[in-house]
Amino acid sequence: MKKNLITAFVLLASVPLFAGGYRVALQGARMLGMAHAGTALYGNAETLFFNPAASSFLDGEMHMSFGMSLVKSTVKYQNATYLWTAKTQNPLGTPFYAYVSFKQDDHFYWGFALYTPFGSSLKWEDGWKGAHLVNSISLKAVYFQPSLTYKINDYMAVSAGFIAAWGSVNYNKDLNRFLTDESGNKTDISLNATGITGSGYVLSAFIRPASWISMGINYRSKILFNARYGKAEIHDAPAYFTTTRDAFSATLPMPAELSGGIAVKPVKNLTLAADVNYTYWSVYKSLDIDFKTALPDNSMPKNWQNTLTYRFGAEYQAADNLALRAGYFIDQSPIPSTYFSPETPSTDSKGYTAGFTYTYKNYSFDFAFLYVDGSERNDSYDYYKEGLSAPRFDGDYVFNAFIPSFGFNIKL
Amino acid sequence: MKKYWFIVPFLTAWIFSACEPEFSNPVDPDNPEVTSGDADFTTYVAIGNSLTAGYSNGTLYLSGQQNSFPVLLAERMKEAGGGEFTVPYMENDKENIGGLKLNGQIIVPPRLVVDAGEKAVERLHKEPTEELTVKPGPYNNMGVPAAKIYHYVYSGYGNMANLPLGKANPFFVRMASSPEATIFEDVMAQHPTFFTMWVGNNDVLWYATSGGTGTDQTGNPDPSTYGPNDLTDPTLFAYLYNQMVDALVQSGAKGILATIPDVASIPYFTTIPYNPVPLDEETATMLNQAFANYNNGLQLAYANGLITEDELNKRTVHYTAGQNPLLITDEYLTDLTSLGLPSVRQTTPDDLIVLPAAGVIGKADPVNPQLIAGVTAPLADRWVLTDNEVATVRNITAQYNATIKGLAQNYELGLVDMAAAMDQLVSGLRLEDNSIYTADYFSGFNTLPNLFFSLDGVHPNRKGYVILANKVIDAINNTYHSTLRKYNPGYFDADIMIVPSN
Repeated sequence: MKKNLITAFVLLASVPLFAGGYRVALQGARMLGMAHAGTALYGNAETLFFNPAASSFLDGEMHMSFGMSLVKSTVKYQNATYLWTAKTQNPLGTPFYAYVSFKQDDHFYWGFALYTPFGSSLKWEDGWKGAHLVNSISLKAVYFQPSLTYKINDYMAVSAGFIAAWGSVNYNKDLNRFLTDESGNKTDISLNATGITGSGYVLSAFIRPASWISMGINYRSKILFNARYGKAEIHDAPAYFTTTRDAFSATLPMPAELSGGIAVKPVKNLTLAADVNYTYWSVYKSLDIDFKTALPDNSMPKNWQNTLTYRFGAEYQAADNLALRAGYFIDQSPIPSTYFSPETPSTDSKGYTAGFTYTYKNYSFDFAFLYVDGSERNDSYDYYKEGLSAPRFDGDYVFNAFIPSFGFNIKL
Repeated sequence: MKKYWFIVPFLTAWIFSACEPEFSNPVDPDNPEVTSGDADFTTYVAIGNSLTAGYSNGTLYLSGQQNSFPVLLAERMKEAGGGEFTVPYMENDKENIGGLKLNGQIIVPPRLVVDAGEKAVERLHKEPTEELTVKPGPYNNMGVPAAKIYHYVYSGYGNMANLPLGKANPFFVRMASSPEATIFEDVMAQHPTFFTMWVGNNDVLWYATSGGTGTDQTGNPDPSTYGPNDLTDPTLFAYLYNQMVDALVQSGAKGILATIPDVASIPYFTTIPYNPVPLDEETATMLNQAFANYNNGLQLAYANGLITEDELNKRTVHYTAGQNPLLITDEYLTDLTSLGLPSVRQTTPDDLIVLPAAGVIGKADPVNPQLIAGVTAPLADRWVLTDNEVATVRNITAQYNATIKGLAQNYELGLVDMAAAMDQLVSGLRLEDNSIYTADYFSGFNTLPNLFFSLDGVHPNRKGYVILANKVIDAINNTYHSTLRKYNPGYFDADIMIVPSN
């Protein structure tokens, strides 16, 4: 039963690519309204993700938050030299979250968080020119994070938590740029790894020196997804191929993230928040696929770089039961020049958000909308190997994403 | 507030269906911006031989014709005002077996394939499905496999009745507009506005691939006295080439001339090393004893002034443990048969062994198994292009190319330096996208991405023809300020047929 449940969650966690790398910053509909700048804020159980320490400042015995987002993203590619065009037909993504926070006594607070911080799913058009790099990819990750918070006094709290993670990867590409079977179908390879597990931790601190200002810091460790029992299968191979199946192992890193935030209330009913996320993408050096028997090992250098994301949000308490929000963020691409591959075509982007919360008694409903405007990028991937060559795959990329997000909260 | 919530799903639906990202300068594949510059591509005619016809893997077949460089070129010209481009397609060759049959006899063999089971290159064990029938032209692709320079103006070359006499070419018989029409008449009949002319390859190639068994006809302008493997007189070559170019230019056509690659740099000559014979110490010693008499005889001839010290050293046979050169017959050596000494020697790195010799080297004579080809029995002349023959063919090629380059300049035509391209290929041709192509022969599935040549070791494979088309496009664009688009050869299959068993 437990296993089935986890599988179901992992299936739900599919997210079309829309942001820096394969980080999916959609961990709360309330905070998303403020551009996901939640490290120095608390308002509902979402804070178990943004800053578990701040959960001790929630009033009441218990808080629950559930929510999900619908991600619709499109990536376009073009090459002006050869007049190639292509776009992705990404499935609708459904990242979700569930948080429960409760008070043990005045000092100790527990939190249980289930969320999907990473993921990427892309499907390029059939027969497109970058098929030797990717036809489709689906990376899914679900984190379960119990945490314990110690509230030192009325002004500060610290927290520590453990993360257990599950994931799966499904990756399909053509074997090379030209190989086909006897009927002219391109020969492709599927790599499948499910039931990947990993673990990590989270540390956070929160300080609220005065009622008009608060600050927070949160560190989530990296988690290495070691896929040990992946299955590789070659389709539409020419008749002379003697092997079409193999097993593989590979490691995909979920990078660590350090977030710092500050929130102020300059006037009554208005909250302003700013966050910086530092994501340690440099852990993604290369994607190495080690085949167990027949196929030659494959290494794709990545050489990603750490990124900064700046988030700015505002909240206006329009009425006792209605809060309105808006936000803006700037997200850097972790991918250096010449390493830009269409399997994660993540360009620099800007995000615009708006949202509201409607409260009724002990229940509240959050809605947020995010529009991600990816900047156009002309770049290439220069490290694909084909025989003696490393032919460059270059072109222009642009993407955008539309993401409505819904949340439901209960306070006891 | 509650009553406005109904808009949420509608808003969501609208957003999901709208607003894809857009490029600042979107590419429109249906509407390429291409210009013809100073050229007029209305009627493009390609004049040439097998390389223009799309011959590959040792024969002509349908998909090879469809991928010939003129067809690729004409496709791009269509974006800049080019017209229809007709080709004498082998329409019954649906399986791309290749070859021709006449009255049930195979007169042109099917294609070469790799037998993965036997790890051997051999002719496909299928019968050609294309029967030789006359489909009168003229066609835009006037590439006639096997044509030499004098064949372009030879009446009767396309006459079926001349086939049994060996005076006609089955490929031209198929496409000639009439039995007595010459290739060049069929070219001019189309009033080309643009042409590519790549002729002269066979005038040196046949001599080379035959291991230099033909004669250098320099000084003899009468081709009716030539054998098939002879080297065409460079003066005759220059005369005929100039006549054709002059006629084309006088008629108002513009075009491109192509030089002739150094035939000695193709895999047909470079795949088998000069020293392919592995020997152990014991066998080497035994062989040296067997050749002691020959070596002593050479010493005697030298002592009597019959041969030079250089020739003595060149002819002295010596085997060692490890890789050893081949024993060959060389007619350039001083005739010492009166002393009982045959004209044999061991190969040096300057000798080129032809690809088909792979099936001969090391084979024991069926009558006398002591005689092992290339070791104890000399390889015949036709298996080796000796150092002297290499020098001869290079000299003639250089003269042809001097003519071609001179005419391109005089008539202000474009020039594709295929000779230079071939030299690049030998050291590894690097394209704009950083991919590399080599002049190596097929040696396994992993070599496919970098392979330029087909299995015959002479003609390009499909990727190779795409690269040639790009070279021609570059030359056209540079000369006539046009902007024809190039191809990316990486996405083309090499068209090396690998079969599990043959």
